[in-house]
Amino acid sequence: MSLVPVNEPVVNPRAPFYRRLPVVSHFQKSVGLQRGMLVAGLILTAIFLLTACFAPLLAPYGYSQLSDADGNFPTQEAPGGKHLLGTTVGGYDVLSRVIWGAQTALFVIVVAVLMSVVIGVILGLVSGYIGGWLDRILVVIADAVYAFPSLLVAIVMAIVISGGQSSLIGGIFAAGTAITLVFIPQYFRVIRAETVRLKAEPFVESAKVVGASNTRIMTRHIYKNATRSLPLIFTLNASEAILILAGLGFLGFGIEPSSAAEWGYDLNKALADTTSGIWWTGLFPGVAIVLTVMGLTLVGESINDLNDPRLRGRKAAGATGGPDSSTAAQAAISADVRGI
Amino acid sequence: MTTLIDAPPSDADGILPASKKTSGGGLGQYILVRFLLIFPTIFILVTIVFFLMRITGDPITTAMGGRLPAEQLQERIQNAGYDRPILVQYFEYLGQLATGNFGRTLSDNRAVSEMLATYGSATLELSINALIIALLVGIPLGMIAAQRRDHAPDAVLRVFAILCYATPVFFAGMLLKLTFAVWLGWLPVAGRAKTSSELALTSLQAPTGIYWLDAVRSGNMAALGDVMAHAVLPAVALGLLTAGIFLRLVRTNVIGTLGKDYVEAGRSRGVSEFRLVTKHAYKPALIPIITVMGLQIAVMLGGAVLTEKTFEWKGLGFQLANYLTARDFVAVQGIVVLLAIIVAVTNFIVDIVAALIDPRVRY
Amino acid sequence: MTKSTKTLRGAIALAGVSAIALTACTGPSGGGGTSTEGSGGGTITYGTTDKVVTLDPAGSYDGGSFMVMNQIYPFLLNYKPGTADATPDIAESASFTSPTEYTVKLKSGLKFANGNTLDSSDVVFSFKRVVAINDPNGPASLLSNMSTVEAKDPTTVVFTLKAANDQVFPGVLASNPGPIVDEQVFPADKVMDDDAIIKGKPFAGQYTIESYKKNELVSFKPNADYKGLLGAASNEGANLKHYADANNLKLDVQQGNIDVAGRILTATDVADLEKDSKVKVYKGPGGELRYMVFNFDTMPFGAKTPEADPAKALAVRQAVAHLVDRDVIASQVFKNTYTPVYSYVPQGFEGAAEPLKSLYGDGSGKPSLDKAKKVLADAGITSPVDLKLQYTDRYGTSAADEYALVKQQLEQSGLFKVDLKSTEWTTYTKERRADAYPVYQLGWFPDYSDADNYLTPFFIPNNFLGNHYENPAVTEIINKQLVTTDKAERSKLIGEAQAAVAKDLSTLPLLQGAQVMVAGTGVKGVEMTLDASFKTRLGVMSK
Repeated sequence: MSLVPVNEPVVNPRAPFYRRLPVVSHFQKSVGLQRGMLVAGLILTAIFLLTACFAPLLAPYGYSQLSDADGNFPTQEAPGGKHLLGTTVGGYDVLSRVIWGAQTALFVIVVAVLMSVVIGVILGLVSGYIGGWLDRILVVIADAVYAFPSLLVAIVMAIVISGGQSSLIGGIFAAGTAITLVFIPQYFRVIRAETVRLKAEPFVESAKVVGASNTRIMTRHIYKNATRSLPLIFTLNASEAILILAGLGFLGFGIEPSSAAEWGYDLNKALADTTSGIWWTGLFPGVAIVLTVMGLTLVGESINDLNDPRLRGRKAAGATGGPDSSTAAQAAISADVRGI
Repeated sequence: MTTLIDAPPSDADGILPASKKTSGGGLGQYILVRFLLIFPTIFILVTIVFFLMRITGDPITTAMGGRLPAEQLQERIQNAGYDRPILVQYFEYLGQLATGNFGRTLSDNRAVSEMLATYGSATLELSINALIIALLVGIPLGMIAAQRRDHAPDAVLRVFAILCYATPVFFAGMLLKLTFAVWLGWLPVAGRAKTSSELALTSLQAPTGIYWLDAVRSGNMAALGDVMAHAVLPAVALGLLTAGIFLRLVRTNVIGTLGKDYVEAGRSRGVSEFRLVTKHAYKPALIPIITVMGLQIAVMLGGAVLTEKTFEWKGLGFQLANYLTARDFVAVQGIVVLLAIIVAVTNFIVDIVAALIDPRVRY
Repeated sequence: MTKSTKTLRGAIALAGVSAIALTACTGPSGGGGTSTEGSGGGTITYGTTDKVVTLDPAGSYDGGSFMVMNQIYPFLLNYKPGTADATPDIAESASFTSPTEYTVKLKSGLKFANGNTLDSSDVVFSFKRVVAINDPNGPASLLSNMSTVEAKDPTTVVFTLKAANDQVFPGVLASNPGPIVDEQVFPADKVMDDDAIIKGKPFAGQYTIESYKKNELVSFKPNADYKGLLGAASNEGANLKHYADANNLKLDVQQGNIDVAGRILTATDVADLEKDSKVKVYKGPGGELRYMVFNFDTMPFGAKTPEADPAKALAVRQAVAHLVDRDVIASQVFKNTYTPVYSYVPQGFEGAAEPLKSLYGDGSGKPSLDKAKKVLADAGITSPVDLKLQYTDRYGTSAADEYALVKQQLEQSGLFKVDLKSTEWTTYTKERRADAYPVYQLGWFPDYSDADNYLTPFFIPNNFLGNHYENPAVTEIINKQLVTTDKAERSKLIGEAQAAVAKDLSTLPLLQGAQVMVAGTGVKGVEMTLDASFKTRLGVMSK
């Protein structure tokens, strides 16, 4: 019942600041299996991030490269030799596209999550603080959009937005915005709920009495408290963003290969290959999606479990008491539930 | 509308601010307000989709743009009335909807209501099948994981759960298809029935469109077997995704209840751990599952797009993607209205159930 | 809950058992013979990814609907399997009786499957109806040269034409607006619902429809009353199965769940099926054309650009024509399911020539870097030309690979810098008409089997391309061949028109699509329907 956020486990407040950082503090709290899962997730996520950042260095070829000094690439060549993971029907190098695909995925995650955090948080703060009709209308709209299957919302948005051209930036923004629309209601709900709760707290009242302006109250008190639940939703949304992006690509609403490498698109194109004994064009992008989402989900779930005293490893369970549930945990599950 | 596990729906804060103070405003009032909220939800979705669709182009340009000279194209658009002010078209559409007339699809000329019935029943069948798989896999495994908490089985099962929802359903579908249909040849590749069964079922009087039901009604056992065989892979592909979520939910909640006083009391009385899980901790853990299941149905109805495409299962989600590409806004709006109704009603029921179970929700 | 769980378990157990039972009877057939399931001996099951818009001829202008119509409705003129000359179907004769009068005499004693008689008034009704309804999705525009149509007596129909001696009119009668429907079933002023059509049984073609699930499954039965050109169906019935996904279509034909798979199979699928001994791949002439369009206003040095210069613009087009290597695209991307085309009228049509082969490249169809360099240098273009190239997914997903190759071929020469982009179809078709794309991809499927269908729609003023190309000389030749009755003479004019356009390069044709069908080894007659009439006839297939 209580909406108190307990996103960060209670840590010694005098610990050095880096020990109080979300993931670090979680790591400290974890034991055994819990720690194993967190570490596995962190490793997978780190690999993903490094691959994305250093794609230009890691990838043997460009994502849309079809030939090199030795002439055209062979098409549908089995893995080995010059093309470690083989080539596609068009002659693209699979390894290169898988690596570049990480970059595209990261861009989309950043765009989608940043945009939805900013818009969702602002709307949530305003709606929760001001209240009244504005609040009610926003809540109904957010719930309507939130209730609707996310991939379908993304498809509609992809069509509306990708009406433009499929440049790298355009494509990423199209996919990113499509996903943003799905995420905004989630951030909106969490922040709004926190804001409504905090508004009733005595310290806000007293700030008002003292004569603090609305803006000041909002930014100082509420924002500071409310945003504590966000890191967890962040990881879970990142993984959902990848799945939605892949789903869009699979249905043909994704980013074209001349603009960027995209795992879902490549998987879609590989459908005909897989039944013709050409397994490498589909398997590798698919595995890339699975591993990346797994990594992010492992991190997210570990954070969630460590925040929940019931679920924390038994040895640590007694350390802190706490409420039965948390906004963040609910958001985590609701994010899961919306799996495509 | 809520997906919260054991907290009240957040929107109630916004919509029912006053009722908080009038203690015990009553279940009746709560239900009424929740029910009335269904309408704005549908209205908002319909409006958003209407305007979004219209700015993306019209079906005639899509169908004929690669074929007709500019003037002829313009003439056709004019004949169809798509060049009129958008607000006029919007109110016309609302008027139509208000009288229960969904119109006819533009890209394949059929009554929207008939289209919804045909594809809706297919999606419903898929969702039910998938839900069965999800429950059969998710609940027992979740209980095992909770009971063997922090031991090897728990680790394996949790990774399995995460793997389930980390795998895009089309990738899982592709692998399942390759393994069981192409490589082993045990199950059919795709579709809902083979041609002969489908013909047999079509000839049935007043078919429900839910194939296994039709097959049972027709008493055609061969067709029933065939329909079942076709249903396995899509149900598994979609069901595993949800199974992962259920597994996690059951585990979390069973662990939660296992720590409760009365369970501890049972433990101290010497009740076996197995019995504790299956008898005592299990039932309270079901509440959140029922809640999430309700939501999951709504998600499945629309979200099965990818499964439907992979397995040639002609349902609403897949058809929606097609109609979107064809800019068939009448069809798209029809599907959206139906999905909106299903989602709103499901959420309504879920909230009511939550309120009945936990009086705190009612304010 | 426990109880319902048990029920659920029971259901799953049942599913499991039936799955095993099914495995026992339809498991992988080791023998390699045709393992098609029995839905009645001699019944052909045909799978396609094409969709039906409507079964009403007045309301559809697409291949998927037309395919079904060809099985169930009769035409005045049709194509004998294996040929591409329009000849009388349910007519006894059809010819110009004066320059603007085309007279058709019907066979006598014709009937619809519902028992209604089919006579000249049905014919008049059918054509007037298409024009009157003028449905946004309909084929009325194909009848634009028809002024009126009248019934002289129960078996005689006279079409009065606006332009005299229209040589494509017979082809039009065999195309989308051509099916003859029952005036007692169809409303005169609106498109009819498919289910109502099925109930009314207004069928007088080779087949009637037994059961119909739109865009899922159609079951056809031979129509004993059909007396037309196609003759009796050579099978006991046919099923049409619609697929949403080409890959599932391929797997089903491979596993023998359907007998024949037609249309839109990917190149990879076809290449794989060719290696499979259980199925046979058939290829026939194809009418599909894949080409690039130059917008004469906005292309480099185009009329509306700051550095407008017609000579330089022409040089750019010629350089592109010199550089593209169609062979590589056809073999690499399409595994030769498409063939290089060097003309505006695809091979297989009366009058098709290959002017682009001799004019551009090395003269034998291969590219020529030297000629491209020379033509640009001669025009005074020294720096690499920036080319914005657009493609879309409308004509198959291979377009992405196809245009990636075009870009690569142009850039390898060092003469071009290509900015390649793709856009979703609806936006694409709007933007290309608004001159947003300097150079872009399009594809074409013919309305009817006549060379003119590759000329008039493209190159006379106010054409559908809207690329601001106009050449009065070309227009004159095209208009002249339209009314030239002598076949050889007309063929020569068609050749001239192509040669003239080839010099201007309004568009640059790249590839011509073959019709591909895949059938189980036990299926006969598939090759009979793969002719240049581009009509799929279920009636010629049997097993």
